[in-house]
Amino acid sequence: MKKSFALAYALLLIGQLLICNYFHFTPYLVLTMLPTMVLCIPSKHDTSVALVVAFVSGLLVDFLAEGVIGLNVTALVPVAFCRKWIIEKVFGEDLFSRGDDFSIKRYGLGKVAMAIILATSLYLIIYIAADGAGIRPFWFNTLRFFGSLVISFVLSICVADLLNPDDRK
Amino acid sequence: MPKERKIIPTIISAAIFIIMEVAALNMLAKNNELQQIWLARGAHKFMAKTWGMTESIKYYFSLKKQNERLAQENFILSEKLREYLEAGAVLEETRDVQPITGKVRGYEYNSASIVKISNNKQHNYIIIDKGSEDGIGTRSGIITAQGVVGIVDAVSNHYAYALSFRNADVSISARLGNEGAVGPLIWDGHSTNGAILKEIPLQYKFQPGDTVWTSGYSSIFPPDIPLGVAGNSKIVNGATNEIQVTLFQDFTALRYVTIVENKGLEDIESLEAKGAQHKK
Repeated sequence: MKKSFALAYALLLIGQLLICNYFHFTPYLVLTMLPTMVLCIPSKHDTSVALVVAFVSGLLVDFLAEGVIGLNVTALVPVAFCRKWIIEKVFGEDLFSRGDDFSIKRYGLGKVAMAIILATSLYLIIYIAADGAGIRPFWFNTLRFFGSLVISFVLSICVADLLNPDDRK
Repeated sequence: MPKERKIIPTIISAAIFIIMEVAALNMLAKNNELQQIWLARGAHKFMAKTWGMTESIKYYFSLKKQNERLAQENFILSEKLREYLEAGAVLEETRDVQPITGKVRGYEYNSASIVKISNNKQHNYIIIDKGSEDGIGTRSGIITAQGVVGIVDAVSNHYAYALSFRNADVSISARLGNEGAVGPLIWDGHSTNGAILKEIPLQYKFQPGDTVWTSGYSSIFPPDIPLGVAGNSKIVNGATNEIQVTLFQDFTALRYVTIVENKGLEDIESLEAKGAQHKK
């Protein structure tokens, strides 16, 4: 099971690299599935492991795809730090103690969507603020945030279903 | 899990998080100039706010002393103003001249107190007790009657962070004598009242003891603020003079300053931008 998650994670990371390199539709949109990938790291791994995975993933995307070195790492590490808090708040505090993972079938689309929105919002707020570096107007950043949240959410639901399928255990 | 057993992994995770986030921000700042400026401004604002809070408590207990000094300074300034008004009236009677106030048209002045100043570094800074709510903006100048003190770099609501003139990154446009050559004036990097006036063409004659003034070309400081007196000089690359300047301003005894803001700065910068675009 561990191997299948790692493989799926690696393939999705390659997918993210392709998105960053070839899917530049407009400056208003940031298409990302990295926050959901970090959120779906199995609960048997604690925050320290999630932080390391997030750091390495962000670094790979920064070096192999994005132009701004350090941008994805800066935005993704806080998501890994808040991962446990988000999961406990949305799915209940006992999920980690049981070593259980969340899935759409078991917890419903609403709860999974809520967790994805929280993680992706945190990522996008930091990403857009750091990318803009205080020179872009507020309306542009707001529009970019909501546009990116909608498009990334759709993609992230598929990612969550792929990384945490109900029949994995 | 008992509470004690939960605390240790939380502390470890928090420590790892801080290390990784600092490393990420460091990467971001090192590799991207725009983000570096953004992060530096954020840090400056934070410092200004933190120091402002601690220093304001300290100042509360020295208010009486400050009031006495302000009253004395007010008296001296009133005396000077009266002298200027009398001299101006005599000049206007004798010949057709522009009033002295015309020279400073377009600049707005605000008084402020220094809440923190560093003097023993290569990149010295000043924090003043006026911020954006008092109408202070970035790129405002800080002056006293004795010369230029610094340039505002970042502002919070109630405080402003300024780069001291005694900072390796600060250079101001200065003029040698009343009608002399103009060149950049920078801190000499070590002494408390020493500066260097650079790029003065060899054909301009001067004497040690000549006064150095602000040129007014920088669009931050108004012209004709006395800065210091010229001292020894040396020829650099056979083309220009480099002149040692002894500043009038004593940075170790600074408390009250004046913030000067060029109201036409935006217009000047937009003109410069248009000029640059036209060149391209």
